[in-house]
Amino acid sequence: MRDIVVFSGSSNKILTERICENLGLVPGEIELMKFANGETSVRLCDSVREKDVLVIQSGCGRVNDNFMELLLMISACKMASAKRITVVCPLFFYSRQAESPSSKKGVPFLPGGNRHTLLDSVPPSPRSLSRASNHTPSSSLVSNTVISSQITPQKVSQTSIPQAQVTDTSVASPSPLNPAAAARSLQAQAQTPVQTPAQSQTQSLSQSPSHSQSPHHPYKSWVAQSGTLIANLLTSAGADHIVTMDLHDAQFQGFFDIPVDNLYSKPLVQHYIVNYVRDYKDCVIVSPDAGGAKRAAAIADSLGLQFALIHKERRQRVAEHPVTAVSMGPYLLAPVASTDDLIVGPAVGSNTGSNSDTSINKNASNSDTIVATTMLVGDVQGKVCVIVDDLVDTATTIIRAARLLKEQGCIYVYALITHGIFSGDALKKVKKCGTIDQVITTNTVDQTTHVQEYGKVNGEPLEVLDVSRIFAEAIRRINNGESVSLIYDQGW
Amino acid sequence: MSLRYPKNSIKILTANSHPELSKLISKRLNIPLSNIKALELANNENAILVGESVRDEDVYIIQTGCGGYEKLNDYIMELLLMVHACRTASARKITAVIPNFPYARQDRKDKSRVPISAKLVANLLTTAGCDHVITLDLHASQIQGFFSIPVDNLSAEPNVLKYLQSHFEDKNSVILVSPDVGGAKRVASLADKLDTTFALIHKERAKANVVSKMVLVGDVTGKACILVDDMADTCGTLCKAADLLTEKGAKEVLAIVTHGIFSGNAIMKLNQSNLTKIVCTNSMPLNNIQDLCPKLEVIDISGILSEAIRRLHNGESVSYLFNNAVV
Repeated sequence: MRDIVVFSGSSNKILTERICENLGLVPGEIELMKFANGETSVRLCDSVREKDVLVIQSGCGRVNDNFMELLLMISACKMASAKRITVVCPLFFYSRQAESPSSKKGVPFLPGGNRHTLLDSVPPSPRSLSRASNHTPSSSLVSNTVISSQITPQKVSQTSIPQAQVTDTSVASPSPLNPAAAARSLQAQAQTPVQTPAQSQTQSLSQSPSHSQSPHHPYKSWVAQSGTLIANLLTSAGADHIVTMDLHDAQFQGFFDIPVDNLYSKPLVQHYIVNYVRDYKDCVIVSPDAGGAKRAAAIADSLGLQFALIHKERRQRVAEHPVTAVSMGPYLLAPVASTDDLIVGPAVGSNTGSNSDTSINKNASNSDTIVATTMLVGDVQGKVCVIVDDLVDTATTIIRAARLLKEQGCIYVYALITHGIFSGDALKKVKKCGTIDQVITTNTVDQTTHVQEYGKVNGEPLEVLDVSRIFAEAIRRINNGESVSLIYDQGW
Repeated sequence: MSLRYPKNSIKILTANSHPELSKLISKRLNIPLSNIKALELANNENAILVGESVRDEDVYIIQTGCGGYEKLNDYIMELLLMVHACRTASARKITAVIPNFPYARQDRKDKSRVPISAKLVANLLTTAGCDHVITLDLHASQIQGFFSIPVDNLSAEPNVLKYLQSHFEDKNSVILVSPDVGGAKRVASLADKLDTTFALIHKERAKANVVSKMVLVGDVTGKACILVDDMADTCGTLCKAADLLTEKGAKEVLAIVTHGIFSGNAIMKLNQSNLTKIVCTNSMPLNNIQDLCPKLEVIDISGILSEAIRRLHNGESVSYLFNNAVV
């Protein structure tokens, strides 16, 4: 390798070492630390003058700390007269927010009273009146929960967590809010003294109609997209070239004015399926949401396998009966149990078709609620399923998908994930649900602690595929000025 | 002109670093805080939820460089995301109000192959879409030159002066002390205005945040010493300076700083030190610290910031604020 220096950020040093091993290099020496006041400090110990510099940092862990560290590293290289700075982000920073979450279902929930302004901001409809009338006769308990979630700090954690779970499952949503953080900010807002249930109940009765009848915020809330910002920040720090893998959103490449090489883990995934999935010729590749359909279909196509798709949608049902579900503000959400109502798509046989009827009836009884329905398009009866996804954060989506697959008669579920972020207690949830038989991920995110935390489920540990060869080959080719596109199709 | 630029209004946005200061500013200007919030996502990323239109408005985002070991970088990202969000929301002008500018001390290449981090932060703010920056007592005023956009480096000096004048009537019993050579200019200017003498402490640093040896230049015997600095971080310097001054015969030692960062075990050090009092501005959130440190006294600088915002919006001169205290 000519004139090349590789520096590793603190997020994924193991991967850097492996990449360097593949390249026959030693990682460059670098001093990374944080001062007591939280400022990151960077010092390069090896000369980079007129060299090809690679900076490897993954968008995991303490994302913002890692991102600032990356920017400082790039800036340091630039200042030290590096010839070219290539940024290798196995998992790209803020990559999930590139999609448009402006739709109603995509907006993450807001703590406390703000939720009302957010949700009332949809154009007022006659339905809001009927919703208000529903509140008063039978659902005092329901609205009680709502109000107390704003006022009583103790109840906050209980009431906000199920909602967080419901919200984060929406198909095109950005990553969900940290329930703990939500609870914290709720508590910060709850400055009024603790009220007795009786008090808050009377308050709820007097307040809830006013909430739904007078939407004083005609503005429709939206979540800002950060893709362009992240791209511009990297460019302005001095990055000349970006190498990443399985971008959640392929359009992200367009935000940059510098070349971006988006590598694919597809060859690796295919290799695993062919060699390790039992009875792979008869297995079904499943996409857990509509966004990943293309990715899953491509794998299924090139291996000649069957393909299934899980689609989630939230429908608002018109009021016919009093509310029975637990409500969350004027936006009524069915409890977690009933959000799992399964409607099987028309593509499936008649025996499962009857199943869909019952669930529709069940939904009708939860009138005027938002029901998250999960639909499976495709047949998995008696098959082995491989759920393929690019990114798992809170794991709610794949757990839901696996449960649906098992209910539809699938015998074994593999989850093949490129970027296993597993925030919070995601892995614990995966272990507890018992529907995912085997989890396979890659080391784009450092998996050392995850592997320990996961231990073994049904005798199968969390399996980690090594992406370092793909990156090493891409880096070698970039350094030599060879074509990178060749390695997209080669098996590794 | 008036047709092309119809009158617009001030929008005050607050990110999560210092809501108390934002509330004070909003109260002084009598403008409610806008419904634009920084959210924290499960994977440690942040997102901005825009719940109010800022189209063609004059936007002021208040975020200070605080948060300590855990959150400082998070707050910087929050600020950048918020600036960018306002930019995409078609704000006419975006001003970042950063009382304590983060990374201000990494402002030069003091070793080879280190970044000039303050310059990077300046670039990031400009890239995100900032049109103007308001800050307070920059560690080095040259940082203004890192920006290609206007920077108003406000000064807490008038308020500090007012505090000193009201607390120390006998000028001859007071001496101002700069804890390092770099702050000599700051102290000299204050001593001039207060018409007192000043002394210097020269320190030799082996490593960042660690002070090795101190030498006092000037006579402090029998006087009340007031240590003046722009920031108190780990407070190692201040406590050592207080020890030195007490040893040299000072009657009492006080410290007055603009930015009370107080990272690490600074509070413990202060409580055990020879300092009788430490006065700092509320450029950093100090509510929790005040309970832990009875020696701490806070000067409110929300007046300076809100007056600067008002003047900026109306196109008036800001230089008035360099010489006149706003209470």
